[in-house]
Amino acid sequence: MPLFGELAVERVAPRLAHLLNLDAEAWTLPGAEILQMAYEVGEATRALLPRAMHPAIPPYATWLVTRYPESPVGPFTLAQLRLMGRAGAHPRGYVLGAVASTPEAARALADGWGFPAAAGAVAVQRYHDRVSVSVTLEGDRILDAALVDPQPISGADVQYIHSVTLARLDEPAGSTPTLVQVDPHYTFHRAERGRPSIARFAAAAWNAEGLAPVHPISASFATCDTDLPRIRFVMDPEIPVVRGTRRIR
Amino acid sequence: MKFGLFYELSVPRPWTRESERTVYNNALEQVKLADELGFDQVWAVEHHFLEEYSHCPAPELFLTACAMLTTQIRVGHGIIVCVPEFNHPIKIAERTAVLDLLSGGRLEVGTGRSATWTELAGFNANPDDTKKSWDEFVRCLPKMWTSEQFAYEGEFWSMPARTILPKVYQRPHPPMWVAVTSPGTELDAADRGLGSLGLTFGGFAEQEKKIAEYRRRIQLCTPVGEFVNDQVSTVNFLYCHEDDQVGRTVGRKMADTFNYLASQLTSVREAFPGRSYPSLGLLPQLRRQATGPDSGEQAGEGLALGGPERVLRALKRWEAVGVDRVNFLLNTVEAIPQTQVLESLRLFAREVMPAFAESKPAGGER
Repeated sequence: MPLFGELAVERVAPRLAHLLNLDAEAWTLPGAEILQMAYEVGEATRALLPRAMHPAIPPYATWLVTRYPESPVGPFTLAQLRLMGRAGAHPRGYVLGAVASTPEAARALADGWGFPAAAGAVAVQRYHDRVSVSVTLEGDRILDAALVDPQPISGADVQYIHSVTLARLDEPAGSTPTLVQVDPHYTFHRAERGRPSIARFAAAAWNAEGLAPVHPISASFATCDTDLPRIRFVMDPEIPVVRGTRRIR
Repeated sequence: MKFGLFYELSVPRPWTRESERTVYNNALEQVKLADELGFDQVWAVEHHFLEEYSHCPAPELFLTACAMLTTQIRVGHGIIVCVPEFNHPIKIAERTAVLDLLSGGRLEVGTGRSATWTELAGFNANPDDTKKSWDEFVRCLPKMWTSEQFAYEGEFWSMPARTILPKVYQRPHPPMWVAVTSPGTELDAADRGLGSLGLTFGGFAEQEKKIAEYRRRIQLCTPVGEFVNDQVSTVNFLYCHEDDQVGRTVGRKMADTFNYLASQLTSVREAFPGRSYPSLGLLPQLRRQATGPDSGEQAGEGLALGGPERVLRALKRWEAVGVDRVNFLLNTVEAIPQTQVLESLRLFAREVMPAFAESKPAGGER
């Protein structure tokens, strides 16, 4: 069998988002701009991945920054760090940390889908030769990164891997750490690819102690219509998803 | 229709000092038996860094051992990754020629370009360039095998005039193939007069359509070699057992394990968006078949798993679809004990193989 993650869920449980139920209504999110940067990150990251999941070979992470000009909580920008892996046979990005540009968005994303989202400043800027992002949390700059030298590609060439969040779910038996699959749809309007460049990354602020970007893979910047759909699957973080997945709807 | 073996050489964790050696030794024993039973060919992949899934980075060495242990079975070196960071074309020409000599003209050469980020990044190769370098390599190889002197100036490699030695044993040269996983690659094969080395499992309707298009297209090809190899090969799992239910159950476990391991690989497209890898190729199909809605009976369409009658029916269907050769995966991470694998081979040779007539050779004088 492939290797599994080694996250001690009990250690991170106190800081997990709290889901009252699995019934968040879907959001329609037109005209989103998504900047994704991918780096290989080293074997030590297995300690960050839930035991239900397999690490990617090689281990890699994506920094996913999305500007949503329209949403039920108004315009906002969301920056996520995702450790990529497999839920059974399926590629998934486990969300380690997230910063939303408005308190309303941070709260709604945590309450509805279990995102470990804090409110902070997320600034995306488009230059002639790059698309840059900076993220500030509680006065500290925790990410300075960019897509360098963007070149047009087809939107059909871009693939975004679905996410899983880890949250505490209130159930009759108590509050249980639960993996939540977040599986948006995308309709692409344009896309570019370039090189990723990370100048500053504060791992601890992203709940990612030991994770460091060591080998660049790619960066993409796409405009698309997307959504946050209703939750379809949840998983027990402690057992392989093949045995621990529950379909919600 | 002809039958062969196909090796990824998967090794289960935990990796002990003996586990990899055992997998290689078991494979060699299987090949020796297959040669005695009348199987036509044995193929070995070239993969790097693919934990558990494939510990076969030097297939030419494994195939040399196969050739030394056997007398009839052909040895398929494939696919060779035609990317300069992996293999210099001169070395490909030289080592394939040596293998052809040592095997007495039993070599088949499969070509391809790798489909995983894991491998390409491991060699620091640019995924955008692999299709182009593959194209250069396959056009050069036949000339390197057959020309007295060879010189070349290309985008991905160049050399001044030299005599590349030794020359291949087969005349004019070994049959050449292309690995076909991504949609459309079968057309690349056809345009160059190369055999279609299909690496997808199951799905009669889709394969029939692809094969028909390949057949139509190859009639108009400009071959890169001295002859057209218009053969269509595909891979399949094989576990044949007297008890159909046992054959299906044990075989499905092997197939599911293979699909599950394959789905762990990081495809190029997953990590590196671009036109060079327009689809996920084989992986989505394997993921669905491992755990998705296609798992179970539906995914078993066309798989050679079960009793002899069921296996025969599946293969007759492939023959009707237009497949010339089927290469079998016999095991995955040693999930099936070696004695049972050997018994499956014997049963297949006894009960199934006689029902298939001789088919045309892929070309080349042996």
